[in-house]
Amino acid sequence: MRKTLALLLGAAIATGTSIGAATAQVTINVITAGDQNMVDYITDYLGPMFERQNPGVRVRAVGTGPGDAGSHRIWERLNAQRQANQPRWDVDVAVVHQTMAGQMVREGLLQRYRADVPTGTLVTRDTARLALGADVDGFVMPMFHSQIAIAYNPQMVATPPRSFQELEQWVRQNPRRFGYNGIRGGMSGVGFVFGWVYANTPGAERLMNGPYDANFRQAWVPAMQRLREFNRNVVITPGNAGTLDALNRGEIAMGPVWMDMFYTWQAEGRLNPNMRLELIAPGLPGQPMYYVVPERAANAEIARRFIALATSPQVQAEGIVRRFNWLPGIDAQHVQPHLEAQVWQRLFRDVSPQTLAQRGQPMPMGNFFREIQEDYERLVAN
Amino acid sequence: MSESRAFGLLLVAPALAVLALFFMYPLGFSLAGAFVERGGGLGLDNFHRAFDLYGSDVGFTAVIIVLSTIAIAAMAIAIGGYLTLGRNATARAILSALYRWPLFIPFIIAAQCMRTFLAKNGFMNNTWVAMGLLDPADTVGFLDWRGIIITFVWKQAPFVTLMVAGAMAALDRSTIEAARNLGARRLRILFEIVLPQIRTPLAVALILSAVTMMSVLSVPLMLSGQSPTMITVQMAHRIQAMGDYGVANALGFVSYMMAAVFAWFYLRETVKERTR
Amino acid sequence: MTPALLWIPRAILLALFAWFIFGPLANLLIWSVAEAWFWPNKLPSQWGFRFWEQVFRPTGRAMESLSLSILIALLTVVLCLALAIPAGWALARVRLPFRAVIMLVFLMPQAFPSLPVYINIARAFYEYGLNGTILGVVLVHTTHGLVYAVWIAAAAFSAVDRELEQAARNIGATATRTFFTITLPLALPGLLVAAIFVFLESLDEFTGSFFVGAPDIQTLPLLMFTASMAGSYQISSITALILLVPSLVFMVLVQRFLKPEVLTKIGA
Repeated sequence: MRKTLALLLGAAIATGTSIGAATAQVTINVITAGDQNMVDYITDYLGPMFERQNPGVRVRAVGTGPGDAGSHRIWERLNAQRQANQPRWDVDVAVVHQTMAGQMVREGLLQRYRADVPTGTLVTRDTARLALGADVDGFVMPMFHSQIAIAYNPQMVATPPRSFQELEQWVRQNPRRFGYNGIRGGMSGVGFVFGWVYANTPGAERLMNGPYDANFRQAWVPAMQRLREFNRNVVITPGNAGTLDALNRGEIAMGPVWMDMFYTWQAEGRLNPNMRLELIAPGLPGQPMYYVVPERAANAEIARRFIALATSPQVQAEGIVRRFNWLPGIDAQHVQPHLEAQVWQRLFRDVSPQTLAQRGQPMPMGNFFREIQEDYERLVAN
Repeated sequence: MSESRAFGLLLVAPALAVLALFFMYPLGFSLAGAFVERGGGLGLDNFHRAFDLYGSDVGFTAVIIVLSTIAIAAMAIAIGGYLTLGRNATARAILSALYRWPLFIPFIIAAQCMRTFLAKNGFMNNTWVAMGLLDPADTVGFLDWRGIIITFVWKQAPFVTLMVAGAMAALDRSTIEAARNLGARRLRILFEIVLPQIRTPLAVALILSAVTMMSVLSVPLMLSGQSPTMITVQMAHRIQAMGDYGVANALGFVSYMMAAVFAWFYLRETVKERTR
Repeated sequence: MTPALLWIPRAILLALFAWFIFGPLANLLIWSVAEAWFWPNKLPSQWGFRFWEQVFRPTGRAMESLSLSILIALLTVVLCLALAIPAGWALARVRLPFRAVIMLVFLMPQAFPSLPVYINIARAFYEYGLNGTILGVVLVHTTHGLVYAVWIAAAAFSAVDRELEQAARNIGATATRTFFTITLPLALPGLLVAAIFVFLESLDEFTGSFFVGAPDIQTLPLLMFTASMAGSYQISSITALILLVPSLVFMVLVQRFLKPEVLTKIGA
């Protein structure tokens, strides 16, 4: 009896595996940093679309978490596989922030691909060639561009502050009504700190455009001290979503948020539709996130096809702009024809394109990026 | 028993081996890594940087653990005391059924519950406002160190209470009855008769509880974005955002020192027990 | 004071205590069926099961995470007991040298803050390709659960009456036979308690899985954490409820097995 059972089991397993082998599937691994919406974008929209167009291919999406920590995880993984001398790596497409992209290119962890995809010529912005001062030309394609702005509740804030100066005053008069996430848990808080440093440091253009100078570190110390004072009257939230959440539940009246998350939450009914945005002077940073292909990706050719689909005008219009309220990664003129005017205008409901152009700033370049955060920990948070 | 000692050691060996490989070896790495500087040499640079950046968090962690442990001890003794000395059987039964619930709820779920419970306009404040006890404009959010302590107490007190109540229940009732016959009030019986006899199980439970709390990452991460925060959060941040094992291990070393203080108390208790 | 009046302070205290214990849990329940909940509403403005559909959808990862978590927990229990039963028996029955030290050694993972250890294990596992694998996570969970398993197993074996074993040996049974027919069955309730503790510790474990498992191995607690940090309170509340079911079931079961005598022997 036992023998028969064993034989049957063996036969079943053999049949199972042979069926599996017959419909041999290639799985590509897309590893993305950032909030949950980045993973949802692939599991709910891009992945199924790619699978339909490429039968026999399965898309597996893995999220590594928000902020630079998420990108750092991806770097660690690629680095570990390179150090272990693995011939083929288990990451086919990665979506990373700018700093990590620069570092990965410097360390030879990525392969050039932009010249080999049909959509490569559709992006001409600086951000496709330079990542915070590092040369990444040919290695990256922007997935989207996002922008930080100050969200506020008009019922609690009659006249929102229009500049960092006014914000400082407002917070002093309205303690614990402003919240941001410090430098942990998401880039909206980090971006706010950068915006603060830009606004309160003479010669801040050097921070944005370089060249890097180690001695410049002294210049932003007064700004940090002011930020420490400012922090006494604010609420520190757990992250990007934490700020939006606190806003939603009436705990704070104002806070820096990613514009795309803001609009998406409103569209999904997770944020009170009455909330509004203000891009305060002199500005706040924004950033792209990049599609990259690791040097020894196991399925590089399929990876390139995936990125080609992701950066095609139709997908950028439908997925990036309409569904997720991001600014497109490729140049706007390619995307606009695929959208109704009102959908395109939704992106600019609270902040006009002119204001965006004027007050949208890049993140700090090179070592400034790290040093400002370290000094925040040392001088402001401690 | 006449079983050979060698055989006994052989039986314990596999478990010890797993422990050695997957705990003591990385532990050694952690302790040593605290002293390996960025340049590659040995030194205290990591500690300097750790205290430079996170000094207030270290103090904060110590305060939270101590306050939580005190609160847990108070609650456990109160509940255990009532279960042992309380006069009303129905009340005892209700209490006994109530206190155990958070026991098997993991920290991460406790953190999730408390995050919306303790918020400025969360469930707790809403209840009080609805009952008319609090004005909506005066609601205070507890999503800071107080929230962390409340969550720890909520989660850990049932465990300590279980140990304490079990120990109290296993006591010889004759000492309690004798004191009662002499006319002693119940509170006095609790502190002078019952408590001294359960000191060891209480100490064991509190120490285990304190060290568990020192390892928790989910609660401070989810509840409090505020600075200062517990050093577990900073350790994770250091590793994940910057790959800085040096400072993370230095912070780890500091938390071992804190745990060592507790371990010292445990050893003192058990040595006293054995020499009694 | 008449007995009836005494119930007023009692009832108030008990009610307050019950609210303290159940309030957070009730809140979790409400969030799981809230479709829209803005401030200043005291309760959700829209109720419904929309988010339940989202959690259980085919592309959703809740079911996958749950089965992964349960698989890992079961494997951890098996490995833990395989290591702890011989060790516990030896500690209970054999006069080992350094017995106290050995018991203390098993306490170490619980006695030391484990986060720095997890960080370094993750780093070591990277080099051996164990990071992000089920085996890696099981090993980490096992190490952490060994103290429960060994200590409780030792206590359970200690509580078995030696006279019963002696009697069996006297009528001619071999040592092995005595173990399997007398000792083990008598120690089984205690061992089951140990198994349950280890299972629950593994199922609910977050920190170790955070470093060693993520991002490939997404256990249910990790899924819950991600959802919560992303502000999806409905999704995190629903996954929390799913995670709670095994805990509550086992809590009911363990009420039967948790005897005071076994408890007081722990740590002896």
